[in-house]
Amino acid sequence: MGGQYRLLGILLAVLAVLVLVVGGLSAALLIGGGEETGGNGGTTTSSPSEAGPDASEGGETVEAASGRLRLPGIDPITLDPHLVTDTGSAQYVAEIFSGLTTISPDLELALDLAESFDISEDGRVYTFTLRPDALFHNGRRVTAADVAWSIDRALDPETSSLVALSYLGDIVGARERRLGRSETLEGMRVVDERTIEFTLDAPKPFFLWKLTYPTAWVVDSQQVEANPRNWTRNPNGTGPYQLKEWRLGERIVLEASDRYYEGTPSVKEVLFELSGGSTLTRFENGELDVAGIGVNDLERAQDPSSDLGPLYSNSVEMSISYLAFNTEAPPFDDVNVRRAFAMAIDRAKVAETVFMNAWLPATGIIPPRVPGYTAEDKTYTFDPEGARAALAASSYGSPEGLPPITLTEMGGGASASIDTQAFLEQWREELGVEVQVRQTDRATLTADLDDGRLQIFVDGWSMDYPDPESVIDLKFHSTSPLNDVRYQNTAVDALIEAARVEQDPERRLQLYRDAEQILIDEAAWVPLYFPLAHVVVAPRVEGWFAPPLIMPRLRFVTVTE
Amino acid sequence: MAVYIVRRLIWLPFILLVVSFATFSIARFGPGDPLAVAAGQFRDPEILAQVRAERGLDGSVLEQYGRWLSAALRGDFGESFLQQGFSVSELIFPKMWISAQLGLIALVIVFALGIPLGLLASRLSGTWIDPFIISTLLFLRAIPVIVLIPPLLWLFALQLNLLPVGGWGGLFDIWWLGGVVAIPIPDPHLYLPLMAMSIGGFGGVARLVRITALEVQGEDYIRTARAKGLPESVISGRHVLPNSLLPVVTVIGFALTSIIEGAFFVEVLLGIPGIGRFTFEAVVSRDYDVILAMTVITSAVFVLMNLLVEISYTFIDPRIRLGASAAT
Repeated sequence: MGGQYRLLGILLAVLAVLVLVVGGLSAALLIGGGEETGGNGGTTTSSPSEAGPDASEGGETVEAASGRLRLPGIDPITLDPHLVTDTGSAQYVAEIFSGLTTISPDLELALDLAESFDISEDGRVYTFTLRPDALFHNGRRVTAADVAWSIDRALDPETSSLVALSYLGDIVGARERRLGRSETLEGMRVVDERTIEFTLDAPKPFFLWKLTYPTAWVVDSQQVEANPRNWTRNPNGTGPYQLKEWRLGERIVLEASDRYYEGTPSVKEVLFELSGGSTLTRFENGELDVAGIGVNDLERAQDPSSDLGPLYSNSVEMSISYLAFNTEAPPFDDVNVRRAFAMAIDRAKVAETVFMNAWLPATGIIPPRVPGYTAEDKTYTFDPEGARAALAASSYGSPEGLPPITLTEMGGGASASIDTQAFLEQWREELGVEVQVRQTDRATLTADLDDGRLQIFVDGWSMDYPDPESVIDLKFHSTSPLNDVRYQNTAVDALIEAARVEQDPERRLQLYRDAEQILIDEAAWVPLYFPLAHVVVAPRVEGWFAPPLIMPRLRFVTVTE
Repeated sequence: MAVYIVRRLIWLPFILLVVSFATFSIARFGPGDPLAVAAGQFRDPEILAQVRAERGLDGSVLEQYGRWLSAALRGDFGESFLQQGFSVSELIFPKMWISAQLGLIALVIVFALGIPLGLLASRLSGTWIDPFIISTLLFLRAIPVIVLIPPLLWLFALQLNLLPVGGWGGLFDIWWLGGVVAIPIPDPHLYLPLMAMSIGGFGGVARLVRITALEVQGEDYIRTARAKGLPESVISGRHVLPNSLLPVVTVIGFALTSIIEGAFFVEVLLGIPGIGRFTFEAVVSRDYDVILAMTVITSAVFVLMNLLVEISYTFIDPRIRLGASAAT
């Protein structure tokens, strides 16, 4: 019997110890980092009468509104500009670092660390002169040697960058350097302390745009060499903001740099909340200054009489969502089958009824705001008769003649996404074809694409700079590794290759438009939508915009009290 | 018993070896790899092959496993692809700690309220209160967490504006009394996840305690105790409760394992930077080393918790002797 008492005692003691250990350690951690919490408490409880926990809780949610911009964020995968591939990380990288050229808020190419540049007659040699007043956050001056060291590092096999060649590959010798066949980058030369020169393998007018991507930006050689593994935890960059605090999974705080060459930004501190639930709910609760709007909340946000209505805006992203046919896999190796599938679906109706026009029906392959884009609809319109005729004209002859068809999309597997369901229904109704759906994650989709295992798939593409080369050449040239639809057309190849070296801007765009029209007519892709970014922004924030590309923006924002 | 414990512990490394190899091969034989995910839109096969070699993702599965194992034995569990520049242990343990704090408190709440409720129900067995308590708790338990959280958010955050919508701010905030005396008050971010995590738990614990308590109450020694004229409170506290604890201890053991795995839905819906959410993201992005470390740690804890549960049996029920069955 005594044993039973003892047991109960042990159990209660264990529970008590657990509570004490957890509580004590947390309290210790908290007091350890006590200054900020203390400081916070100081500003929160402006009057001592707000003593109750309720008051301080209520105060907590409203308090943080003073002085700084509060945004939703995620933990960056990396803050190393030479490694970054995702937009989630890039939103920090774009503020902390900078490069020779950049993109202005109205999407014009602008000079950044470079003060001026010069292009040789044959379009192959680019010479940049650095601005004299560019400093790292720690005060060291940025020289041409820093730029050269950074670009060489981006290509160095030791850095293991997945994207360096995509952006720097036009420089002579870049591939050899990246693959470790050369110790130096042949096409790069430091002329003097403020001048650097690049030689390209061909005249490429989009080279200046490629330099706006973080892979070409400047890092501090001294810092990286001193701490190659962990330097990004406290990076010394050249951008308008510096990293003040990063608590994994909790918050990132950026602080305006007073050494920034364009002047210290107006918003002194930007807080990215990395934890927390629905951003819209937190926005409505006064915890965030900006929130994205999903399809489900769109109707409410677009209603001018709702609380959100006056705060709502949208902008076109520079990307496209599309249906793609593997042009090597039966039955889509037959252009008439592809055409039949393209003509049998009514994208405009789906965009309207399913997405409530959250996205624009695509008019072509080149997205809006990209030179070469035209508003007229170049795609197949909904035409059931034409679709049936095309299928009858194909080598398969009829729906019965088709092999089993599977559409692959990304998703959790519970049910097909709603627009896909609509397409399946239209194919069944208009063509009499049953299409199966398979959902996978990104990794599986990528592996299947590489192996050419898919028939139809849904995917998207984001432009990396506003130039049609970034989609037409990369996705459809017969030798491009990104040509997932395995499209082979010598006429398209010829147009793309001509555009690569065409020096006249208008003629060059026309070449891409011609290629685009062939691609649409041959139904390599069925362009679906041009996505829109929907946001609500608190009234105290001015100058906010959703960047369609990787570009700095926080220094253009102001916050009023 | 010591022999038994040692024997069990000797097996631990072998179990971990098997578990880690199985996880490792399953991950490697699955489609895709973390680099293909990281490369995003840009997949240059030549570069991918090169980076695979640079990151030790080339060669046969056995070769790769050998490399991983020899590093792991030196305490290096690799580097995350999802959070580059951070070692796996640097990432996992803080997140696990966040999940564990929440999980432990929820566990304490669940048992601190569930056990008395179960005992109460068993004592009132035969009246309407017993089925009322149990069916109410079972009803709450039947509500999935993902269904439960939105109304909680709506009520406490949006309507009453009492609590923040989500996030994590540690366990305590320090309220400075006169700027000198530190008074810890629970962080407001705690309430919603704790509600979500514990509401469903009462039902299970209370029902378990009720059933075993009813069983115990039918035993001869309880009848004897009643015959001796002991007050009902003494009978409950001294006889019924301790004898009902055996299954409860088992449940606690398993529950302790699950708290280091985190509560996925609560963490996602309330934006808590815990280990459940992170593990899920790691699986989706094929963050091999994180997946592997999580599997190995969870397995080790599971084995140890089982052992602890078995040891605690000998305290609760002196008739149980560890190793007795092993000897036969």
